[in-house]
Amino acid sequence: MALRPYMEGLYQKHTDDLVGCAEFVALESGQVSRAGYDRFLENVIRTHLKSPQLLAFLFALAPPRAAERLRHNMLEELGLDQESGASHPSLLRVLATEAGLGSVLTQLEAGAAQDLKKMVEEPLLFGTLKEVGFSALVEICAFEFMLSRVAGRMARALAAHRGLSARAIEWFTHHSEVDVGHAEQGFENLDAYADYYSLAEEDARTLAGMALRDNVFIKRYFGELPLARARSLL
Amino acid sequence: MKLTSATVHALQLPFVEAFRHSASERTFSDSVIVCLRDDAGQEGFGEGVPRPYVTGETQDVVLDHLARNLLPPLLGRDLADIDALEDADRMIPSVAISGTRSDNASRCAVELALLDLSFKRQTASLAKVLPATSSRVRYSGVITSGSHEKALATARQMRVVGFRHIKVKVGYPDDVERMTALRALFGPNVSMRVDANGAWTEHRALEVLSSLAPLNIEVAEQPLPHGDLDAWARLKSKSPIPLMADESLVTIEDARHLIDKNATDFFNLRISKNGGLARTVALARLGRAHGIRLQIGAQVGETAILSAAGRHLAAYLDGVEFVEGSYGSLLLTEDVTREQVRFGHKGEAGLLTAPGLGITVLEERLRKYATRSIEVKA
Repeated sequence: MALRPYMEGLYQKHTDDLVGCAEFVALESGQVSRAGYDRFLENVIRTHLKSPQLLAFLFALAPPRAAERLRHNMLEELGLDQESGASHPSLLRVLATEAGLGSVLTQLEAGAAQDLKKMVEEPLLFGTLKEVGFSALVEICAFEFMLSRVAGRMARALAAHRGLSARAIEWFTHHSEVDVGHAEQGFENLDAYADYYSLAEEDARTLAGMALRDNVFIKRYFGELPLARARSLL
Repeated sequence: MKLTSATVHALQLPFVEAFRHSASERTFSDSVIVCLRDDAGQEGFGEGVPRPYVTGETQDVVLDHLARNLLPPLLGRDLADIDALEDADRMIPSVAISGTRSDNASRCAVELALLDLSFKRQTASLAKVLPATSSRVRYSGVITSGSHEKALATARQMRVVGFRHIKVKVGYPDDVERMTALRALFGPNVSMRVDANGAWTEHRALEVLSSLAPLNIEVAEQPLPHGDLDAWARLKSKSPIPLMADESLVTIEDARHLIDKNATDFFNLRISKNGGLARTVALARLGRAHGIRLQIGAQVGETAILSAAGRHLAAYLDGVEFVEGSYGSLLLTEDVTREQVRFGHKGEAGLLTAPGLGITVLEERLRKYATRSIEVKA
């Protein structure tokens, strides 16, 4: 299966919508209050704190062709890969502490745990785990694609306008580098997954469209109301 | 226990994407939520969804009617434990609003709040007065209007979810081609029906319904505009597909007229449109007594509050053929309850068993999406 052209178009559109939304433009141009930058940081931290667990879920379902790549990603997230250094959640905790958000870190951890719990408790729309796993893979690859292209811009904006140190923004700079490779591998993983589990191309595209009906980047990083305004729904 | 205060919220809760049919396009929910409180601090929540082209109520009209007419007489009154569904409806004053067909959305919001509050206080489920006759509810997928390609894309999503019942919004020049393509996509084993939202003339309705007959369409909802029941009766006598009254069925008088004229095969019951649970059950009983078949419909953009009430009703009424609603976060960018009330695979959902309506409304969500909130005190 060759899902890449379709998926790349979908991911690029969502990424373009993110960088074009009013909140991102303001973030990059320094037109946001300190509280606004802090809300953005809190949302990023809450969104990604549980990434290792989501990657572990994907690893559990991984087809042979993608298993090694997904195992590597998971170990890297956990800081257990030989070259990876600190775990990604620990980089997010450093970000919180360095940004003066240490006092809300417990609350963010609880929020991230709650988000994961909600995801697990929601009624499943699909009949088997193969559709659930494909939808999760689509979303995780979407973030890797977007971060490989936008995390560096976020890091520069946070350094310039929020005064964060290089140590503080390491989560962003790290993702602007490693996710270039992850994003490329992501397309291969999607094809491998769809092939292994015999997902028809039309169904794979349909599932991808359902997983990304919302712009998950704007929704998670800025909230539901900015997303609705960006989509002219309000 | 005395009812002490109420808050009314006018919501503007954005959809995930626009919802279109021949009579309207919506991009956000404009529900009105009532929160009633008693002197023990217990809260009950209700919802009404005003539709100017159905009951004549707008969001402003409902807000004003609730704050001036329906809620003040309740505040300061004792709320005895409700043990019959009709008790809450009887407590609500009957006050006509000029220029509207009915105040059903307003009444619904108050009735549900009274029921939720009373049964929460009794630590009992609403199922105490609406005992379930089935353990699961099977919802329909709804394909809105839009381009032919968009309809097919939505249909593919519904096929992946595994819906067994599909409703398609029609009322466009390509109705027959669209339905032919959708039948081919779903195959012969999925039940399909159409909803014209009153967009057809009598001539056009008969023309389209005759063309659709080979596609095994179960029922055509609101084929003609509200009003001319003689035209409905003529169409019913000639149509190869059964008819369903929706916008034409708001009050019990509407139901009697439809029955007297032999103008419809189905009633589409919607709790907000029909003035709350007690009045909706009364319509169902009247229809049943005259051989009318039933669908439980929903309001586009309803929150989990109305969806929960719809779940109880659908589980209670025996032999309902189609059920709609409970889209939750599939349509709303965020719902207003802690629990996810929406259906799952195949459009199926289980019963709600927690006290009251069985949901936990998050007031911070109501405040997040409220464009106006009015406090009403005794």
